[in-house]
Amino acid sequence: MSDALSEDGSEQNDSQEDVMTPVELIAKLEEAWLNEKFSPDLLENKSEVVECVMEQLNHMEDNLQRVSKGDMKASVHRMEIDRIRFVLSSYLRSRLQKIEKFFPHVLEKEKSRADGDPSYLSPEEYAFAREYLANTETYLKAIALRHMPPNLQAVDMMKAVPEPCLDSFVFLRVKERQDNIMVEPETDDQREYVVDLDVGSQHLMRYRTIAPLVSTGAVQLI
Amino acid sequence: MDPAEVEFLAEKEIVKIIPNFSLDKIYLIGGDLGPFNPGLPVQVPVWLALNLKQRQKCRILPPQWMDVDKLEEVREMERKEDSFTPPPSPYYMELTKLLLNHASDNIPKADEIRTLVKDIWDTRIAKLRLSADSFISQQEAHAKLDNLTLMEINTTRSFLLGSLNCMFKLRSNMQPGTSAGKAPDY
Repeated sequence: MSDALSEDGSEQNDSQEDVMTPVELIAKLEEAWLNEKFSPDLLENKSEVVECVMEQLNHMEDNLQRVSKGDMKASVHRMEIDRIRFVLSSYLRSRLQKIEKFFPHVLEKEKSRADGDPSYLSPEEYAFAREYLANTETYLKAIALRHMPPNLQAVDMMKAVPEPCLDSFVFLRVKERQDNIMVEPETDDQREYVVDLDVGSQHLMRYRTIAPLVSTGAVQLI
Repeated sequence: MDPAEVEFLAEKEIVKIIPNFSLDKIYLIGGDLGPFNPGLPVQVPVWLALNLKQRQKCRILPPQWMDVDKLEEVREMERKEDSFTPPPSPYYMELTKLLLNHASDNIPKADEIRTLVKDIWDTRIAKLRLSADSFISQQEAHAKLDNLTLMEINTTRSFLLGSLNCMFKLRSNMQPGTSAGKAPDY
């Protein structure tokens, strides 16, 4: 019984190109969770992390089924599974909320990205966004638009739905040192200035300036 | 973010316990724990320590910083300085609450510690309020907040960020042509 749990828990997940230990995987999931929670915009889709975590969880669940109930180890494993499942669900939920909030812009961004760029939406999320768009259009048509004069029956979703506000302020912690980050002034009498971001320091600034750093993982939103 | 979610993150911190059972090594997805031998200290994350304590399977040892003298020093420094001093631990508030609620019998002078931590928290939140006030009134665009813990940031997060974003929208709507074609998000 202890073998079943121990040998699978310490197994490395090497079905992906870059081998990550489970510890690193969970750390990456939590980083993605916090970044997605605090960023005003939908971030890149981390589907490899999500899939790997689902694999690990299913693996662990299967092992626990085989083992007798009421065992001490089983309960510890189960607690950990619950914790990881919470983070994963919260991450996916944040993404869905943002997709629902910004659906035309999200679809537009996905359509206009180059082939080599990483995608913002997983296939399921893409299908969800398209259905949401179709349903909203049908709903608006049925409820109000068909009663309007014929030349007013079109609704431009891109204009009707507000864009994500990239100028929102966010809190961040620096993971890799960055030099010369431009800080734009708030009022007209201030001048723009540069700041250096030291490792481990925490800052409050506009999201727009540091958005690329979040995608590369140089800063962590907190 | 919910305070409960900040507590969730704090529960990942490592604390020492003395189990009264024995169990060989556990291989969790997030790392290895154990082996557990009765009477020998072992390091586990707080979420596990609290669960074992509730099942009366262990005794929790207070972390290094949870000591009356050390906390008194921190409190004095915090009161003297205008800026934020390094906190006893990045999750001092959550850990104090969790450990003192569930394991106060394992922690010497628990009541004094509770009072000291509350004093430190009150001083820091007062400083935070002052600095947030000056940040907004001077319309700064950037602030460095190295020694703030996540719980303190989270306390002001929704109000501070909400007001800053609101002010930005008011300002950009006053300036003609800055947000061409963008519908403001009310």
